[in-house]
Order: sequence, then structure tokens, then C-alpha cells
Amino acid sequence: MSQFVAIFIDALRLLRAKALFWVTLGISCFAAVLYLSIGFDAEGVTILFGLSSFENEMIRADSPFAEMFYLGIFSVLIVNIWLSWIAIILAMVTCAPVFPSFMEEGASGTVLSKPVGRLKLFLFKYLTGLLFAFLQTGLFCLIVFLALRLRVGTWNPTVFWAVPLIVLMFSYLWAVMVTVGIRTRSVMASILIALLVWFSAWISRTAEEYAWMGAEMGEVPAGAGTVRLSEEEQQSWKDRYPMMSLPYKLLPKTTDTVNLLQRYIKVQGDEEFSLVQLIGIMAGDGPEPDEEVEAAMKRHSPAFIIGTSLAFELVILSFGAWIFVRRDF
Amino acid sequence: MSDLAIDIEHLKKRYGRFVALGGVSLQVPKGVVFGLLGPNGAGKSTLVKSLLTIVRPTECRGEMLGERIGHRRTLGRIGYLPEHARFPDYLTGRQIIGFSGGLAKVPSRQVRERTDRLLKTVGMDEWADRKNGTYSKGMRQRVGLAQALINEPDIVFLDEPTDGVDPAGRVEIRKLIEAMREEGRTVFVNSHLLGEVEQVADQVAIMAKGSIVKQGTIKELTQVENRYEVTTLGPVPTQVREKLTAEGMEVGGDTIRLVCDDALGVQPVIDLLRSEGAAIRGLKEVRSSLEEVFMEAVNRQGEDPR
Repeated sequence: MSQFVAIFIDALRLLRAKALFWVTLGISCFAAVLYLSIGFDAEGVTILFGLSSFENEMIRADSPFAEMFYLGIFSVLIVNIWLSWIAIILAMVTCAPVFPSFMEEGASGTVLSKPVGRLKLFLFKYLTGLLFAFLQTGLFCLIVFLALRLRVGTWNPTVFWAVPLIVLMFSYLWAVMVTVGIRTRSVMASILIALLVWFSAWISRTAEEYAWMGAEMGEVPAGAGTVRLSEEEQQSWKDRYPMMSLPYKLLPKTTDTVNLLQRYIKVQGDEEFSLVQLIGIMAGDGPEPDEEVEAAMKRHSPAFIIGTSLAFELVILSFGAWIFVRRDF
Repeated sequence: MSDLAIDIEHLKKRYGRFVALGGVSLQVPKGVVFGLLGPNGAGKSTLVKSLLTIVRPTECRGEMLGERIGHRRTLGRIGYLPEHARFPDYLTGRQIIGFSGGLAKVPSRQVRERTDRLLKTVGMDEWADRKNGTYSKGMRQRVGLAQALINEPDIVFLDEPTDGVDPAGRVEIRKLIEAMREEGRTVFVNSHLLGEVEQVADQVAIMAKGSIVKQGTIKELTQVENRYEVTTLGPVPTQVREKLTAEGMEVGGDTIRLVCDDALGVQPVIDLLRSEGAAIRGLKEVRSSLEEVFMEAVNRQGEDPR
């Protein structure tokens, strides 16, 4: 038996023994069934397997926008709220004790005395920690994949992009948890600091977006709308942008990583999914997307979003590995 | 090829300014049960952990199974049961052994075969598929012993193996250790329980304050000084007592205590007694108990600051 398989099987058994794993899986299945209950008829959209319906001229059975609507619910509501928010927090709580409990007296000795290098062991344990997010998202996407076939009539494998993207997003936070867990041996500290990093990432993204709008679009959000800036004010925002965007560049892009899903899922074969277009359709503005807003949403390339986030993860993880390799147990 | 399973030339471990191991030198022959004795905090566990790479030594020169200490692949020939071993409660006894086998790179089929055999050997075959969380302390130790043997190791390190185990369990563990020796394994037992070690160990080292104070077979350690006792029928005659006391011997009532290299050194005393007409009731070689040797060694070391 290979060492990785032994650690992998152990991680599966650990997950199986955790009540939270089953609770999360149960809620995921419930959410997936709710998703499956959404359908289309000649008038518009039906929910709860036809118990209730909403009329819509553009989104209805056999409409080309039905699939976009269905994918929109998946990528915006379910992925952004359930999979990348609530399920991630539950995954953090479930996986947080993995390293601290390994480092308790009497627990690590039998493993460390085996012919497995510390770095290898660290990486194996780190990777198996991602199992939770992988299994939860994988099962969910499978149900969504089948639901799409049933409701819209298409096989759309691009929904499976959610799996690597959610796992990637979880991996940024998991790296923080692992390192803090190794440094402090505290489950609570690792969860709290990971939440702090997550919150900081979100704040930094909001600040960067605000500054970018002021610098590039000459307007800043205010209340429900926006306020136009004078040229001087815009220049001032341009001057401030590098500093204001620095935390965003350094921290992991949790939200943007998950939002990449909207760029990767395709509609009707090879058409790009457009959230802006979908919002327009739902608001009755027609199917033409707002090019300017679309461009603004895509101003950061996937390479930048994933690359800089992985750089953050690598730095944090290297520090964790360094402590793990040098530590006396 | 060396006859030594473990040959530590120099091993030092410091935690900041605290010296846990102060340049330990230790030799353990192959195929013996070796007992490392010492009070709590002597550094026994640190020594074993240093050999197994669980603790990183500050300075280390030496070999284990012919390879430098810390050689990763050599650890595949080692079994280890740590003190206060904690295995996950969600695993069954069988799974704990299987996990250990996987980490030691034992092929799956061999793991399955050996697991059944080992479970039987340690008397856990009936409870093999119950979760570790339901086991008693003794049952956990037995599973711990079985997992330490899954890779058929050349050296087995047992750190306080009978700690918290009831008397019947201790006897069984002792039998298991003897069985390991019969199979040709070197068994390194860490313990602060002298009686346990005395019954099973071929060689012993006494450790105190991070240093090896004494090392040898139990016979060697308890016979550091050759002491003899001669008893007479009735009190030792006065003139004999005076003469022997003047020569540095201890005489009290009917007993004469003397230190000499071997039994030949006792002959002049016997001759003297006989020439004075004293009847000799008995002659015996006196050994220190291991406990006496241990206490003396530890107390002597205790006088030196670490």
C-alpha cells in the first residue's frame, strides 16, 4: 500500500466519522434537490416541481435563455452563497482539527517514526484536507449536471468547473488554517485567523473595486447608485489606486476565484455565460449585454486572480511546511 | 557487519538552554531485549524520539542497523509504540494496524495477512473491528504493539509499554516482548518500572538527567563490586574480628563482609577462621539489587547539575 493511499483512506475515514460532514452533505443534497425542482413551462419559470410559477417572456420552456437562467441560479446563488460561503465555513470547522490533533502527544509518534519524509507527510495531509471541499462540490455538481439535462435538455460538463474553483478557493483558507494550526496547535486560533484572512480578502477586494471605479470609470458608488467625479477627483483616485489595490493584489482572491466560474461555464454548447446579460433579461431590458460592465467584471485575468492567490498560498504553506519539518514532536 | 543494532557515539539535544540529552553514548547489541531505565524526566523518551526522527537532535553521531541515525529508509525496519500512544478513535484496531502498515510501505496483501496474525498474537482478534474509542487502556496498548510489528521490524521501541496496564496485561506484554526476542528482534524498552525491566531485559542502561549513568547486563550491574559474606556458627572470635577489621573488612556478630575480585580472595579469611577453630556456617556472593544500583546511580547523578 502506498503511503499516500494510507493517508488518503485515513482522511476519508476521518471525514466519515465527522457528523458535520454528513450534515453538510445532507444540506448540499437538499439544495441540489431544490435546484432540481426549478423547471420551465410555456409561461415562464416553475419552482418546487411546479407548485408555484412565475411568468417571464424570455425565460420559458424551449427558450434559449432558459439554460442561462438555470446556470445563473447555479453559479450566482448556489455556488456563491452555499458552496463558497456556508459549505466552506462548515468545511473549515470540520477540517480544522486535522493538524492540531495530529500534533498532540502520542498521536504523531507512530506516523513520524515511519519511513515517510516530513515534507511529504505535510503535503499529503494538506492535500487530503481538500477532500472535504472536493467531495461536497463534486457531488453537488453531479446533481446539477443531471438536473440541467432533465430541465433544459443539455449535457453541460462546464458546470464541473465549480469543483476545482471551489477547492482552489478553499485551499487558500486551508493553507492559513494548516499553518496557524501547526504554529499554535489550536483549532480555534486556526479557524479565527482563517476567517480574518477571508474577511480581509473581501474588504481588500471591495476597496480595490471602489478605487478602480473612481480611477478608471470616473464614478464611485454612493447609496443605490453612483456619483460622477470631476477630472481632478478622478486623478486623485488614479494616484491612490496603486496603494489601495495593494492589499487586494497580495491577499488571496476568494470571491474572484469563485466568480471565474461565470467565465468558464458555457451556454448552448460554446456561448459564454453572461451574468450581466442574464440580469438584463430578468429585468426586461432585453438580451443585449452591457459591454462596459462586462469588461469591468473581467478586468482581472484568470492568470492574475489564480496566480497571485496561489502565490499567497505558496508563501503561507511554505512557512507552515518549514515549521512542520523542523518541529520536535 | 556490526553486531550492534544501535550504536550511538554522541547524541545531544538541547531545548534552548535546557540540555535534555547531554552527549549520550549507547550501544545496543542485536537480538537482545534492552531496557533503558530512568526516573521520569531523565530523557529516555527524548533519546528514543531522537533515534526515530520525531525529535531533531542538536548533535548526533551514530548508526542504527548499519545506517546513520535519521536515515529515512531504515525507519522502515523499525517498530515503535510511543508512550501514551493515541490512535484515532474513529479507527478500528484492524484499521490502525493497516494504516501503520501502509505508512511503512508494507504491500496491502501482506498487511492483511499480518494483521490477522498480529491481532491473534496480541489477543485482540475478537475486538479487531470495534472502534478504538471503545477500547480499554490495555486493549489500546495491545493494538499499539501489533501496529509496531506490522512491518516485521528488526528493532522495536516500546516506550513505557506497561504504563496504565493491569497486572495480567503486564504479564502478557512481557510474554510478547520475549516472543519478539525469540523471533530475533532487538527490543528496546523504555521504562521507569525496574521490576518490569529486570524480568525481561538482557541488557540495561540507567539514565539520569540526560546522561547514561550505567550500562551492562543485569548481572554486570548488580555485581559491580564482588562482595562476599561469610557467616560463622556463633559470633566471630574477637581476635579474628580485630584482625579482619584492621584489614578493612566489615565484621558484625556472626557475619564477615569483604570485597575482593573473586572467591579466591575469601580463602585467607576461611583459613583464619578455621585456624582459630571457628565453624563456618555459610559463604555467599552478595549482589546489589537492580533497585539499589538504580537508586545509587540516580542519586549520584542527581548531585551533578545538568
